[in-house]
Amino acid sequence: MTDSQGPPQDPDGLIGAEIESSFEDLVLESRDIRGFLTELAVRAASRLSVPGNTVHSGVTVLRHRRPEAVAASDAAAKALDELQNGFGDGPCLTALRNRATLLVPDLSDEKRWGRYIRTALEHGVYSILAVPLDLAGEADAVLNLYSGRSNGFSAKDISTAEAFARQAGSSLRLILRITQLTEAREDLSAAMQSRTIIDMAIGAIMAQNRCTRDTAFSILTKASSSRNVKLRDLAASVIASISGEDKIPTHFSE
Amino acid sequence: MNAEWTGGPDQLVEAAEQRRDAARRFRDAGLPLLKLWTYYYGIGGDVDELSLDAYLNEALHLPAAQVGLVATAMTELTRDDAG
Repeated sequence: MTDSQGPPQDPDGLIGAEIESSFEDLVLESRDIRGFLTELAVRAASRLSVPGNTVHSGVTVLRHRRPEAVAASDAAAKALDELQNGFGDGPCLTALRNRATLLVPDLSDEKRWGRYIRTALEHGVYSILAVPLDLAGEADAVLNLYSGRSNGFSAKDISTAEAFARQAGSSLRLILRITQLTEAREDLSAAMQSRTIIDMAIGAIMAQNRCTRDTAFSILTKASSSRNVKLRDLAASVIASISGEDKIPTHFSE
Repeated sequence: MNAEWTGGPDQLVEAAEQRRDAARRFRDAGLPLLKLWTYYYGIGGDVDELSLDAYLNEALHLPAAQVGLVATAMTELTRDDAG
């Protein structure tokens, strides 16, 4: 990745192996998905940029079925991704939906995605290449590449970008899985702390009102929604009002 | 939990409507089931993940108290998402 023009002749297999091992390192080094994706975008951009044709790159991930620009090689690419997500349509989102590479060789000739294309042109973008990442159904992601020149992506660039996306895809799957497990563990630990506090407050309400647990829950949830306060926060203030304790230690605190 | 249902026919219709509403909200929010269940458990929910799944697919009725907690969990989680 030091020479942006790439080695002169065929050692494609070699480049492949090189990319792969560096992606493995990247998975281990990244603190989170965002960090990984940012590095991915930076590498993709630097790999396809040549003097006189700087490529900007972003990665859009579909989360909760909503597109979200999560990482970019630079501010320009981030702005372009967000613009497209704002319009809710564009070449990258279309590539994402169709799960197929999409090339817009010259934006000034493009008839689809009218408003987005016009705005992108105003930002100095003349060609766009969008390559979806195959995440085996775990999430959807697309690598967005922007060039300031028309016909900024050659056939060779497209196959390079596709090979890059293939290898990034499997690493991204791995990091998504790791992140999901970490998140699930954090959620569970938060749930156990919260449940302890709520159970205590429910017990207190039962004692004060001489009522059943279900009734106590109904009192607490009604108060929470009418005051627009989270159940957990309300429970904490119930306990604080009785005992003056505002910090309840739980076994689940880390 | 179906066996615990003791309300009259009117309440059953109301419960079915409430359940349809909860199922729709769940689909619209695009929340992972595990995330919702964990949050619901954290605010005092009692039913397991499978029963919650069944409820949100309109295949099972839950006791009123649990219904309230499921709704609260969805409200608090989606509010977190937006903010």
